[in-house]
Order: sequence, then structure tokens, then C-alpha cells
Amino acid sequence: MSVSDTKAQSAFQSLSNILGSIPLTVNSSESPVSFLLNNSEIAKQISVHLKQPNSGAGDDDLCRWLYNTFQSSDPGLQLVVLRFLPIIGGLYLSRDNLRKSLAGFEAILLAIYAYETTSRKGQPITVNVPDLSHPSLYHEVPITNTATELNLAILSQSLEPHGTIRSTKRARIVGVALELYYSKIAVMPVSSKIDFCEFCIIWAGQDGDMFIENEDNEEKGNGVEVSDDGSGDADASTSEDGVTKKNDGKQSEEKEGRIPLPWELLQPVLRILSHCLLGPTKSKELQEVAQAACRSLYARALHDVDPQAILATSSLLKLGKMAMDSTPNPDPTEMNCDFMNPVISL
Amino acid sequence: SAQECKTVLDAVEKIFQYGIPDDVVDNKLQDTVSKAVELLPELWKQDGCHQEAMSAYRRALLSQWNLDNECSARIQKGFALYLLYNGVEAGPPSLSVQVEGSYVPKNNLEEAILLLMILLRKCCLGRINWDPSIMEHFTFALSLCGKTSILARQLEEVLPGIFHRCDRWNALALSYSAAGQNKVALNLLRKSLHKHEKPDDLIALLLSAKICSEDPLLAFEGVGYARRAIANAEGKDGHLKGVGVRLLGLCLGKQAKVASSDLERSYLQSEALKYLNEAMAFEQDNPDVVFELGVQYAAHRNSNAALRCVKQFIDATGGSMLKGWRLLVLVLSAQQRYSEAKVVTDAALDETSKWEQGPLLRLKAKLKISQSLPMDAVETYRFLLALVQAQRKSFGPHRSNILQVEDDKVSEFEVWQGLANLYSSLSYWRDAEICLEKARALKQYSSSALHTEGVTFQERERYREALVAYCESMMMDPNHAPSKVSMGALLWRSGSKALPVARSFLSDALRLEPTSRSAWYYLGMVHRDDGRIVDAADCFQAASMLEESDPVESFSSFL
Repeated sequence: MSVSDTKAQSAFQSLSNILGSIPLTVNSSESPVSFLLNNSEIAKQISVHLKQPNSGAGDDDLCRWLYNTFQSSDPGLQLVVLRFLPIIGGLYLSRDNLRKSLAGFEAILLAIYAYETTSRKGQPITVNVPDLSHPSLYHEVPITNTATELNLAILSQSLEPHGTIRSTKRARIVGVALELYYSKIAVMPVSSKIDFCEFCIIWAGQDGDMFIENEDNEEKGNGVEVSDDGSGDADASTSEDGVTKKNDGKQSEEKEGRIPLPWELLQPVLRILSHCLLGPTKSKELQEVAQAACRSLYARALHDVDPQAILATSSLLKLGKMAMDSTPNPDPTEMNCDFMNPVISL
Repeated sequence: SAQECKTVLDAVEKIFQYGIPDDVVDNKLQDTVSKAVELLPELWKQDGCHQEAMSAYRRALLSQWNLDNECSARIQKGFALYLLYNGVEAGPPSLSVQVEGSYVPKNNLEEAILLLMILLRKCCLGRINWDPSIMEHFTFALSLCGKTSILARQLEEVLPGIFHRCDRWNALALSYSAAGQNKVALNLLRKSLHKHEKPDDLIALLLSAKICSEDPLLAFEGVGYARRAIANAEGKDGHLKGVGVRLLGLCLGKQAKVASSDLERSYLQSEALKYLNEAMAFEQDNPDVVFELGVQYAAHRNSNAALRCVKQFIDATGGSMLKGWRLLVLVLSAQQRYSEAKVVTDAALDETSKWEQGPLLRLKAKLKISQSLPMDAVETYRFLLALVQAQRKSFGPHRSNILQVEDDKVSEFEVWQGLANLYSSLSYWRDAEICLEKARALKQYSSSALHTEGVTFQERERYREALVAYCESMMMDPNHAPSKVSMGALLWRSGSKALPVARSFLSDALRLEPTSRSAWYYLGMVHRDDGRIVDAADCFQAASMLEESDPVESFSSFL
């Protein structure tokens, strides 16, 4: 067995000690790492454990296991820990940090942040936005313009090491962890992405139902009460019926989990969401929950009147609708040859 | 099937080594080649083989297959979307296709943006049909990068008739506002909200109200927009009513700053409070409303209510917003609870990272001065100076690109200014002069520096030079209230003939800053010397009430 397999085996052993007995054994054909990553039973048990109200404290064994697994420097095992990042990051940000100690979660997040800092050497991620007046790989320009202006956009600021998580840096650290998650998103299982989208809805703290465009909307859309989005019910089903149930049942329940969404957190969230919504996926459930997350984030952007977020979320929303809806829109550049009504409105 | 496609393309490439010339090949072969070229990446994509798909795309676009416009546009769009959303980084293109001096994309986002720009250009030139999703993808990609000014330029290039003009103006306004060019955005929104266009568009109204709420001179206009937004937030958009009410409160509060009479000012302030309270009812879970309410109460000198609000804000945000801590310290200092304010400052310093501690350290220094610990204050200022200088060195050109950052960095100029004030209050004239020189080296024409210089002259009884300094300060900035107060005080001292002039300066200062207790005090003295005892008594009463509730730093930094 390779080194990584032995590490995975020992990780699996210690995990089964923490969670109690896992009635499954590793399939001999599957590598232990991919078993840990993809097995839904393990994932469910770990999620349940993490979502308990007193999880995340300094003495939480599961957090320690996650931390040790990440520090083992085995890329496969690190993916296993990353798979649970949406839940960890989500719970960490939505819980009241000043009262409870969430040292367990903090340790994992700091480990991920430190890893990303060293792999990026602290440098910012920049994007040089192209200018069509300069020739490029894909097109040529008749008159070459030799003056080069750098149109540098910063996607992610430079990173400095942090020993502890200070309150004002919470969003940044989780944001960087999400950037690492995004870079590995192609190999993340679908359930992890669904968890992420559900947390987006909680973080947004807004009910995005008014943007659902179908016949059901009239019944539950009007009289939009200052309603909640089901705080503890993160696993509520995301189909249309589920949404109706949420609205009727939990009206007086306290809204929990709405967090400030600075751009350093919102930007990686939107990138991951765009992948869930428009990327190559065959899961209908993922697309629906991604749509719901999009709607909530759009509602939240409108409430904050944040133009950058409004632009990004509204275009995502429209793209999601276009992807689901296969009827083509009328082409505004085609002239309707209606000579009875020759007025063209611009 | 992917393999078969690949072999076909390999064969064709071998035959036509330098690309397929136009007229040599017959239509059927061209057709097959085009279809194969388009199909191959799709097949790899469905298989989930990311790297092969990307190299197939690149090959399709970079080699000469003689594809027609529509076909190459489809491939470009497919590739751009693949790059944007599939989550796997494509490597850089091979060196053989990179031409000297041309732009070579280094990561997915750059390449996708380039392809989308080329597609949009093709649409504008009429080579392909308009596809609305391209614009949406482009909007998304550029808003992620934050370069919405480029997005605005692209929106302007789109041919007329594709967007309704109001939609175009609104989209442009959003882009310009996101890029920080609020005046441009407001001009566009004014056009779009004109009564003959779409005056009821809710998002446009809210955005205009928000832009206006940041400038006291535009606040009156903002009030109008906010009222219209509230009137229009019905039915499906009812959830935005609270936003409208909140913006109305903010605009009214801002408008109060330029009110021309006391009556108007107090009316506007009470209206602002009323609407912000109403906004709280709509949006109990939005901590920003709570904060803004707290700021208004604090400015109104209702410190108990302010305290309640700011504590709620810190709880709701988990202490992650620096402005909450700052306001809490200021409100506590206004209630003269200095030791508690110190405890809170220390707690806040624990919760913030090094580079954000500037404003807190400044507050800490001022608290120490209030507690009569000047040497500790000097020590704190020294620490702050070191921080600011280190910050300037380590954050080079990249710092200015964050658009959402609060303006919470302390400048070196402010530190020297604060030290100069401190030394002059302790009568260390030499040190004060040195600090002023350092400050002036950083910012040559500053009314606050001149004012401090005037104060140092006045304390040393060099009245003429003090007068000159105050005059210069007022010439720099006609709205600098402290200079007017000092001028008024100096003139009051110089005798009965100057009393009317002193009175006019002090009244002017009060117009600008109605809560300036030194202005009230000196005005009281002027009235007393002129024989108007009742007026003098009123002024002294105002001054003493204000003194009891004076924060260490003015609340106006939040307003």
C-alpha cells in the first residue's frame, strides 16, 4: 500500500473511533482516500456531528481529527477536509462568536488559510483585463498600438500570516479558505456543493422567493411578510413544496445566521455558486438549490444596495433562468416586419 | 467517438499544414471539418476529461480551419463558458502560438473575458447574431474582478435597439457606481428616472437615494427619490420598502447638516430619527439600520439610546466591524465613562488585526488625554506613528483597489497633527513646532495644521502671528469651524470694539458645528461683555450641557 493509502487507513480508523461504529468497510477496489471523500454515509454522519449546537469547541474530537487530517500534507486527505469546508465555514460565521468559543473550527480554518498562504507565497491573485486594441492570441488588430496599459484587477488581496482569528478578519480567512475550495471544486462531491448552497441562503438572510417566476408565485408571493428562511432547518428540501412549507411553518422563528457579507467573502462565494449553477453537473437538485441561493443573494444585494453585488447576482440569476429555460428570447436586432405598426421603440 | 474525431482532425491538419485555403476545398469536406472541430471539445467535455477538452478548444480556435463566423463564435462561446464555470484551471497556451507583443491570458478568467470581449465585438460589427447571455456572462465575469468601468465601456458599445435605453442607463449607472464614479452614475439615473422615461423603477430609485445620501448637498434630491421608492415598493417588491425608509432616514439626516436654520435642522433630525426607527421595524435583522440609528442618536446627544443601538450592532455582527467598536468608545466617552471606554478600546484592539488598529489607537490616545495621562498619550501616538509608517511601506500599489473598504486608515499627517495639539496643550512649544513641520511636509496647505500653529502662537501671546495663522486657515477652508472659534475668541480678548466681529465669527462657527461647546462659551462671553446677560446665560448653559456630553472625537466622522 502506498504511503497515502496507509495514512488514509489510519485516518479512517481514528474517524471510526470518534463517530462510533461505522458499519461499512472500505471496498477493496476503491482507494481509501476516495472512499472517505465520496461515501455519503460517512459524510452524513460527519455533517450531523458538526451541526450539533455545541460543536466546534476546543475539545471537539471531530474538529481535532479534521485538523490533523489536513495537516497530514497528503493531498487526497486534504480534499476530504475541504469537502466539509462549507459546513465548517458556514457554522463558524453564523454562530455568535463573542459568546461561545469556536476554537475547533478556528483551528481548521487557520490551517487551511496557512496552507493557502504558503502555496501562494502571500501574493495577490490578479487578473489583467484585456483590451481589444492590443492584439492577442485570438484576434489581430489592424494598427498595432504599442502603448501598453496594465488593466490590473485584483481578485484576491495579498495574504499575511495570521496566528489567531480576529473578529475583523473572520470574513477574509473564510473567504481565502473558500478560494482554495474553489480551486479544487471539480473533484468535490455534489453533496458538498449542495451544503454550500444551503449555507449561502442562510448567510444571505433574505427570502428570495419573490424572484421565482412561475404560477405558484402568486399564491405565496404576495403579502411578503417579513419572513424568515428557516434558521435551524438548513436541510429543508429545496423543491417548490418545501419552500411553501417553510413559509407557512416558521414565521415567528428567529432569523439566525445572517452575516455581514463583505466583498472579500462574497466574491469567492459567487464564483463557487456560478460553478454550481452553470458548471458541468447532472444533478437537478444541485441546480435548484443553487438557483435558490442565487435568489437569496440577489435579494440581499438589493437590500444592501450594493451595486457590484447587484450586477453580479442579477446576471447569475438571469443566466440560471436562461439555462433552465430553453425557449429563445426574441432577438431585438431582428426587425419585425410589421408594416401596420412601423414604430420601433429604442 | 472522441477518438475518431481526433483522428479526422489530425489527418486534415496533416494535409493542410498551413491552414485550409479558401477556394481549394469543396463544401462537403469543409462542412465535415467544421462539424468535427466543433464537436470534439464537446465530446471531451461530456466525458469529463478537462485537459483534453481545453486543448481541443484551443486547437479549434488557434489553427486555421477556415470556419465561418457563426461556427467560430459558437466555439468561442463554448470555450469561454467552460473556462468560467468548470472550475479547472487551463494551463497557459503553448509557446508556439504566442506571438511577440500580443496579449496572452494567464488564467481562466483572463482568457474567458478576452473571448467574451471578442464575441461582443463581433455582435456589434454585425458578424453574428446578438446573444443576450454573452452580455450576462461578461457582466458576471467583470463584476467578479471589480473592473466595472470596463463593463460600462462595453455596455456603451452595444448597438442601439438591443437594450431599452432606460435599461442601458440603469446598467451603466450600476457599473459606474460600483467603480466608485457616483456622480456619473447619478447623472445617468437622473435621465432614467425622468418623468417621461421610467420614473418608477425601484432599483434605480434606491441606488440614486443611496448615492445622494452620501453627500449633504444632494441629500434633498435623495429624499425625493427615497419617497418615490417607498411609494413604489408594493406587491412583489414589498420587501424593499424597508430599504426605502432607511435611505429616507439617512438622506434627511444628511440634509440636516446643511440646514439654514436651527428650526429646520432640528425638524430634519427628528424626522430622520423617526424614519430610521420605522426602518428598524421593517428590517429587524439588518444590523446596518441599527448602526445608523445609533449614529443619529449619538449626534443628537441621546447617548443612552445610542449605547443600546451600538451594543446591539456589535452583538449582531460578532464584533467584526471596526466602526461598531469606534462608535461604542465614542459614546462611552461622551457619557464620561472613560475607564469603561478604555476597557472597550483594549478589547477592540484584541479583536482587530494590526493594520486596522489605527483609528482605535488614535481614540486610545485621546482617551488618555481626557484622563489626564499625557505621557501615555504620547506613547500611544508614537506607537500609532510606527504603525502608520510601516503600513505605508508594506502596502504598495495594490492597496487602492478595494472598493468596499471603509475609510478607516489613519494618515501620518493626522498623527503628527494630533501630537502637535497634544504638545501645545502641554506647552512643549519646541516639540509642537517640530510636529507641525513634519505635518506640513506631508500636506502643505492644511487648515487644521495652520489652526494648531495659531493656537501655539496664541498661547505664547504672539497674538499678531496667531491672527495671521487663523486668517490663512480660513482662507484655505472657509468652512473650518475651529479656526472661526479661535478667531472669535482672539478678537473677543482684544477689546470691546472687536466684539461684533467676534460675534459674527462665532455665530458662523455655530452654523457649521452647532455642538461646538467652545463656540457657545465664547459667544456667551461676547454677549456678557456687550451687556446682553440673558443671552449670555443661555449660551453658557448650552456650553455646559455640551461639555457634559462631549465625545473625545467628533461624531461627524460617522455622519
